[in-house]
Amino acid sequence: MPARVRKRSPLKLPERPYIALGLEGSANKLGAGIIRHDPDGATTVMSNVRHTYITPPGEGFLPRDTAQHHRDWALTVINDALNKAEISLHDLDCICYTKGPGMGAPLVSVALVARTLSLLYNKPLVGVNHCVGHIEMGRQITGAQNPVVLYVSGGNTQVIAYSQQCYRIFGETLDIAVGNCLDRFARVINLSNDPSPGYNIEQEAKKGKRLLPLPYATKGMDVSLSGILTSTEAYTTDKRFRSNGPSDDDGEDVITPQDLCFSLQETVFAMLVEITERAMAHIGSKEVLIVGGVGCNERLQEMMGVMAKERGGQVFATDERFCIDNGIMIAQAGLLSFRMGFQTPLSKSTCTQRFRTDEVHVAWRA
Amino acid sequence: MDSPTSRLLATATLISQGAEAKVYKAYLHPINENGSSVQPHSTERGEPILLKHRFHKQYRHPALDTTLTKARVAGEARAIIKCIRYGVNVPGVRMVDAPAGVLGLEWIDGKSVRFLLGGGAEGVEEVVGESEENEDEEFIEEDPLREYGISQDDIMRMIGSEIAKIHKADIVHGDLTTSNMIARHPTSPKGLQLVLIDFGLAYTSTLAEDKAVDLYVLERAFASTHPASEPLFASVLNAYAENMGKDWLAVSKKLTDVRLRGRKRSMVG
Repeated sequence: MPARVRKRSPLKLPERPYIALGLEGSANKLGAGIIRHDPDGATTVMSNVRHTYITPPGEGFLPRDTAQHHRDWALTVINDALNKAEISLHDLDCICYTKGPGMGAPLVSVALVARTLSLLYNKPLVGVNHCVGHIEMGRQITGAQNPVVLYVSGGNTQVIAYSQQCYRIFGETLDIAVGNCLDRFARVINLSNDPSPGYNIEQEAKKGKRLLPLPYATKGMDVSLSGILTSTEAYTTDKRFRSNGPSDDDGEDVITPQDLCFSLQETVFAMLVEITERAMAHIGSKEVLIVGGVGCNERLQEMMGVMAKERGGQVFATDERFCIDNGIMIAQAGLLSFRMGFQTPLSKSTCTQRFRTDEVHVAWRA
Repeated sequence: MDSPTSRLLATATLISQGAEAKVYKAYLHPINENGSSVQPHSTERGEPILLKHRFHKQYRHPALDTTLTKARVAGEARAIIKCIRYGVNVPGVRMVDAPAGVLGLEWIDGKSVRFLLGGGAEGVEEVVGESEENEDEEFIEEDPLREYGISQDDIMRMIGSEIAKIHKADIVHGDLTTSNMIARHPTSPKGLQLVLIDFGLAYTSTLAEDKAVDLYVLERAFASTHPASEPLFASVLNAYAENMGKDWLAVSKKLTDVRLRGRKRSMVG
């Protein structure tokens, strides 16, 4: 890049404060967040409320039950968000909701709430791509300018870079998402789903010592994770496996669930860091931003930090309030596009389970 | 650690750092007093070689890093040697030290296809930065291809036929990009050639599926680095199809499948 020319952002400063409500419910988290954009360019998070549908250990969340959870909690969560922000629905400029990607039934139930509020209070609707929400919130919180984005969550695993008003996907998973891989393994060894299976895997992994050989499946810029899950699961039927930790009469050669968590994390994260590094080398960027639920994992952040340091760059990450699915990120991305004049008419306010990051026209960036 | 490899690395000059490895230019045999006057290709002495050093990645678990590095260096050397056996244009292997992560390859005098197509050379952005306000316009406007005396289409055809050669040998490159192809300069002893480099992700496979993925990786690389040259990729495929003969049908079918993959694409029809 000869001479970094700062392109003028197409987004003008607002002439008055804008307030947006964001509603998110693409998976098992129901979130409502209220954000304000001030005329001086400042962004304020007025409230950010979330309620998570937690299933018993060994069980995942099913679409129908998750949708039921969202319907049950929608009013409580939205009221809570409004009270914390100390505003009423009349003060809003727009209502943003997750259009996709995600699970169909939960998406639909939240979109219904958004549509109803929009009609009741006569507020415009803005449909938001969930992934773009994550990226925009990550950029807002960390102040990263033009980072390579690693988006890792229960449903998505993508390496993304911005180019010409589009978040282009450089690499992604070829089968299951990394969060899905970790969550499903948590189910195999019966870890609790509270607060989240991924968090419990992380804690178990800290106690693991032994690195067991697992497949290492990077394909160019892409990764494949389902085979690793199968191989890790296969170790639980190995005769050296001790589900309750080693007993006294065992030798050295035992495998504990902690070792498996450790090996799984080390292998999978090394793959993710590797493809991120490839993308950075490819486009010549020195910044990395980690977003999505798995982005809270401190081991992943640490590994990414080491890699970025080796390349003379830096890593940006957020904490669980903004990493894990939330309403505020939908409000942020929605308000950005609303300020560029984008609205979703009622007749088009549908949801879609398949909505790729690169399908969104990022009008608010140069 | 004073192995011959580390001594060689100490005398080498760093050229660039990719995602995987650091690349150095070195001389396998230090030049003696007479050595410098000898014809460069009459003897190995004094000829430059390229060292590819897969250094230790701090972020990876040491055990994982050691196995991966060793396997990748050895795998790359094996793939290159197999390519040579099948007459593919690849750099010759000069030395392998898998435990140290060092691979020594023939030095190729030329420019990457990425540069020739105007995609800029990878990793040299910082160097170009200073000279911009003076009359460099003309220099930039000049087509680097003219120096090589070939057209863009010629290059595409060469790429297609080279890829067909490796695929017929059942080698899958794994990371086909325009940065991983070098056009050997016409004045070099072997004349103009398209040379494939970086077999770090290469593996052996007879499946049409894997070959199709290989082509798809290249297609995406074209689209992301050379936005206006998508029709050129068609010409790569044409040359590839001609050289593959009857195997093309299976690969082409798979390629259509592969293009539809990736998660969360909108399904039409």
